[in-house]
Amino acid sequence: MNGVSVQFAGKTLGRVLGHVVVYAAALLTLAPFLWMILTSFKEVGEIFSYPPTWWPEVFTLDNYARAFQAAPFGKFYLNSLFVATTVTLGQLVTCSMAAYAFARMEFWGRDVLFFLFLATMMVPAHVTMIPSFMILHSLGMIDTYGALIIPGLASAFGTFLLRQFFLSIPKELEEAAFLDGCGRFRVLWRIIVPLSRPALATLAIFTFMGVFNDFLWALVVINSQELYTVQLGLAIFRDRYSTEWGSLMAGSVVATLPILIVFFLAQKQFIQGIALSGLKE
Amino acid sequence: MTEAVVQQEQAEPAQAAVRRAAAEDPPRAPLPEASGPSRRRRDGLLAFGFLSPTLLVFSVFILFPILFSLYLSFSQWNMFGGESTFVGLDNYARMFGDAEFWSVLAHTGVYTLGTVPVNMALALGAAFYLNTRVIGKRFLRAAFFTPVVISAVAAAVVWRWVFDPNLGLANYALEAIGFGAVNWSNSPAAAMVALIIVGVWKSFGINMVLFAAGLAGIPKHYYEAASIDGANGWQQFWHITVPLLAPTTLFVLVISIIGSFQVFDIVFVLTSGGPLGATKVLVFYLYEHAFKYFDMGYASAVAYVLFAILFALTLVQVRAFRGRGVRGI
Amino acid sequence: MTKPVLRALASALLAVLLLAALPGCGSGSASNDGRTTVVFWHSLVNSTIPALDELLARFEEEHPDIRIQAQYIPSGDALVQKLITSVRSNTAPDISWIHADYLEELVRADAIFPMEHFIGGEDGLADSVIADIYPSLLQYSSWRGQLYSLPMEATNLGLLYNKDLFREAGLDPEQPPRTWDELLSYSERLTIDRNGDGRNEQIGFITPIYPASSPNGPWMVWQWIPFLWQGGGYLVNEEQTRVLFAEEPGVRALTLWKELYDRQNQGTFSNEFMTAFISKQTAMMLDGPWSIPNYPRLLGNMDWGIAPLPAGPERRATISGGEYLAIFKQSQNPDAAWTFVKWMMDPEIQAFWSMKSGYLPVRASVLDVPEYQDYLDENPALRAFVEQMADAGTQRPLDYEQLAIQRAIARAIERATVGGEDPRAVLEAAAAESNRLLDAADRGEDAPEPLAER
Repeated sequence: MNGVSVQFAGKTLGRVLGHVVVYAAALLTLAPFLWMILTSFKEVGEIFSYPPTWWPEVFTLDNYARAFQAAPFGKFYLNSLFVATTVTLGQLVTCSMAAYAFARMEFWGRDVLFFLFLATMMVPAHVTMIPSFMILHSLGMIDTYGALIIPGLASAFGTFLLRQFFLSIPKELEEAAFLDGCGRFRVLWRIIVPLSRPALATLAIFTFMGVFNDFLWALVVINSQELYTVQLGLAIFRDRYSTEWGSLMAGSVVATLPILIVFFLAQKQFIQGIALSGLKE
Repeated sequence: MTEAVVQQEQAEPAQAAVRRAAAEDPPRAPLPEASGPSRRRRDGLLAFGFLSPTLLVFSVFILFPILFSLYLSFSQWNMFGGESTFVGLDNYARMFGDAEFWSVLAHTGVYTLGTVPVNMALALGAAFYLNTRVIGKRFLRAAFFTPVVISAVAAAVVWRWVFDPNLGLANYALEAIGFGAVNWSNSPAAAMVALIIVGVWKSFGINMVLFAAGLAGIPKHYYEAASIDGANGWQQFWHITVPLLAPTTLFVLVISIIGSFQVFDIVFVLTSGGPLGATKVLVFYLYEHAFKYFDMGYASAVAYVLFAILFALTLVQVRAFRGRGVRGI
Repeated sequence: MTKPVLRALASALLAVLLLAALPGCGSGSASNDGRTTVVFWHSLVNSTIPALDELLARFEEEHPDIRIQAQYIPSGDALVQKLITSVRSNTAPDISWIHADYLEELVRADAIFPMEHFIGGEDGLADSVIADIYPSLLQYSSWRGQLYSLPMEATNLGLLYNKDLFREAGLDPEQPPRTWDELLSYSERLTIDRNGDGRNEQIGFITPIYPASSPNGPWMVWQWIPFLWQGGGYLVNEEQTRVLFAEEPGVRALTLWKELYDRQNQGTFSNEFMTAFISKQTAMMLDGPWSIPNYPRLLGNMDWGIAPLPAGPERRATISGGEYLAIFKQSQNPDAAWTFVKWMMDPEIQAFWSMKSGYLPVRASVLDVPEYQDYLDENPALRAFVEQMADAGTQRPLDYEQLAIQRAIARAIERATVGGEDPRAVLEAAAAESNRLLDAADRGEDAPEPLAER
C-alpha cells in the first residue's frame, strides 16, 4: 500500500509540475501581447519609464481616443473586415473546387499543374508585387476594393490544404452517390463539403488572418483614405522621426483582438480539421 | 488502417448525407461504368470547369508576375518608367561575385538552423503535452497561438522594446536574476539570437496546432495495445508516435523551412539588418536592391536563386522521408 | 448545404465581386461641382494634419475654383513605392512631396516638370523671389543645376538639451556647448554610471547611430554631414566626379563621433533616442523643429532648450532639410497645381504655415512679417532654428548615385562606431566605392553649370 501511494504522489507531483511549466510557458508567450494591451492604457509619460512598469499607474483611454481621432479607424476596421471576409469566402469556394479536381479527377497534366501550384509558394512576394500591380492597373482596378480582393481569390496553400483533406475522404461515399445519380458538382456540395467543415474552418482562419494583417499589398494598390485597411491606418503612428507608442499600441490591440476571438471560438473545428486532413497519410 | 478508422467514424453521417442528396435530385439513369479514355476526357472538361476560377486568378495574378519576374531577372529595369534592357546572366554573375550575397545567405542559413529545430521541438512538446490530461487546454492552445495572430509588424515593435539594452524588459529581467545585461542591439551575435527568439515565438503556434492534429489522428488503441505488451512511455513514443507522425512532420518541416528562408517583416522592424549587417537575410537583401537601389532586375534574380534553393531543399526533404517508407507530399 | 443557402451564397459572392469592381470613391482627378481638383500627396505626421487642413482651407478660400485633395502616404519607403507604382501606371498625383534621394530617378524617367516651365511662364515667379529662398534649399530642389521642385517648408538640425540635467551636473543651463571640444567635455560630465556596473544609466550626448541598412541609415548620414562641413569639408567636388568626404575634414568629423560614442560607452545604451531623452537618461541630442509641437505633451515639465549646433574647427554649419513639392507631368491640371505651389512661396503664407505646423519658412523675407516676429518671441526654440537657417549655407549635394553613396557613408559611420574600426580606414573604403560608382554613373550630354555658390 505504501508503494502505491508513493507512486500516486509521484504521478500527482509530476502532473502538478507539468501544469506549472506549461502555464509558465503560456504566460511567457503571452507576455508581449499583454504588454501591448497594458501599454495601450498608459499615459505617455509612463510608457517610457524605467524600470518598466506592468500595470498602468494611471489608467487612461486617451490612446484609444487619439487613435480613433487621428483617422477614421472605424472605417478602416470595416474595410479590413469586409475585404478579409470576402476573400475568405471566395477562397473557400475556389479552393474547394480546385482541390476537388486535383484530388478526385483525372486529367492530363494534373500532377504537373499541382506541383506548379506548390512551387509558386516559394517565390517571395516583393518581387511579384510590381508586375501584379501593373496588371491590376491595366485592368483599371487600382484604388478599388477589387484590387484587394480579386488577387486573393486563388491560393496555392488553400488548394494544397484542402486537397490533402479530400484525399482522406473514402471514395466509397462518392461512388455511392454516383450510383444514385448525383453529378460531380452535387457530390462536392452535398457530401464533401459538409464532411470538410473542419478543414474549411482551418483555411478560413489562416486566410482571414493573412488578409487582415496584410500591409504591403494594401499600401501599393490603395490611394484613397476611404479604402484604407487597419494596417495602413496604423502606419500613421510610425513615421521617420518619432513613434506615437500609445496610439500605435492601442491601434494594434484593436487590430488583433477579433482574430483572437475568432480563433478561440473556432478552436475545436480547427484541430479536428487538420486531424482528418490526411496529412498523416 | 487509419483510413478505415476514419471511415468508420464518418460512415454514419456520410451515408445519410448521400441518401439526402440523392433524394432531392430527380432520379436519373445511373452513370455508365467508367471506361478509360472517355472518363479521362469527361473529367478533363469537368476538371477545367472546377479549376477555372482558381486557374484564372492564379495565371493572372500569380503565375504571370512570377514568370515576368523571371524575365526581369535577366534585365535591367528603371523602376519609375522607361524600358528594360536585356543583360543576360549579368545579374546572376554579379550576385555570385558579391561578398555580401554570400554573407546574407549564411545569415539566412543560421537563422533557419536556429529557428526550425527549436520551433518544431517546442511545437511537438506543446502538442504532445496538451494531448494528455491538462486543465484549461482551450486557454493554453489559444495562448500559444496568439503570437501567430498578431501582425508581424506590431509584434516586432513590441519585441524591439523588450530587447532595448537600456529601457527593455529583457535586460531588466536578466539583471533581476543576476545574469547581467546583454547588448541585444549592438552585438551581432546577440542580435541574431534576439531575432531567432522572436522568429520561434512568432510561428511555433501554427506548428503546434499542426502537430496536435497529427497526434489526434493516431488511434489510441495502438498505445493501449503497446502498454499491454509491456512497452513503456519512451518506447511507445519512438515506435508508435514518431513513425505515425512522420507525414505531419514532413509537412511542418517543409513549411517551416520555406517560411524561415523568406523571413522579412520581423527583421525589418526588429533589427533592420543590423548591427553592421549581421542580421541581413535574403529577402531583406532583395528588398534593398528593389526599393533602395531601384534595381528590380537584380532583385528578381535574387528571388529566383531563393526559389531554386527552396525547391532543392524541398525535394531533398521529400526524398528523405520517402526513404522511410512514408508517402510524402 | 441546402439549395436556397447555396443560391444565396452564390449570388452574394457575385454581388460582392461586382461591387468590388466598381471604382472606389474619391480616386482620380474628376472635377467636383465645377472645381478643378488637384491631388496632393504628403507624409505629414498625424499631429500636423489639423494645421494642413487649415492651410488648405485658406487656399480654397482664396482660390474658389480649385480643390486640393490631400492624401497621406506613410513617409520614406512607402512614399517611394507609391510613386514608383503610380508613375508607371499613369496614376501619378498632381503634386507630391519628393526627396532629393530619388530626384535623379524621377528626372530620368521624365516624370516631373522642370520648375522653369512654370517660373518663366505667364503666372511665374520673379527672380527676386527665387533669390530670397534659402540657397541650401534650392540646391536640394535641383539636379544638375536645374530646379525640379520647390521647398514647401524647411527644417534644419539643432541641439536639443535638458537644462535640468545641466544644472544637476553643475553646468550653466544657458550655456550650451558651442564647440566640438565643449561638446566632448560636456558629454563626459553628463555621463553617469550610478551603480558602477560599467553601463551608463545616463549619457551626455546621443550620437545618432543607426544600422546602415535600416530606414534610418540616410537619416544618420544627414545628421553627420553638417559635422563634415564644420570641419571644412564637402561631400563631393564641384564637377561631381570625386567624393571628398574621406579627406581630413571627414576624418576629423567621424573621429569626433567615434570619440563621443566610445567615451560614453554608447554601445551598451538604448537605441530609442527620443525615448531616452524623454525619460531623462540623456542630456543632449540632435533634433529638428518638427518635434517642437509635441514637446509640451512628451516632455512634460522638463526644462529644455534648443541651441545651434556646436561650431567645428573651420566654421559653423547646420544642414537644411525640408519637404519639396514636385509637379508631375502626368497631371491633368498642372497649372492649377502650380497655383498652389506658387501660393506656398508667398511670405505671408510661409509665415502662416510655419506658425501652424512648426516647420521653418523657406524664405528669408518671412522674418519681415510682423506677426512672425511676435511668434518667434513667444517661441524661442523655433527662433533658434530659424536663425540657424543662415548657417545652412551652400551644401553641394550629390547629383549622382546619391542613395548608394549615402549607403557607403552610413556603413562607414556604423563601422567606426559600433564596429570600433579606424575612421580613416572606413572612410577611405567608402570613398573608393563611391568613386567607382561615380565613374560608372551615366551623366548624359551637356551637364548644365552648377548653381553659383555664395
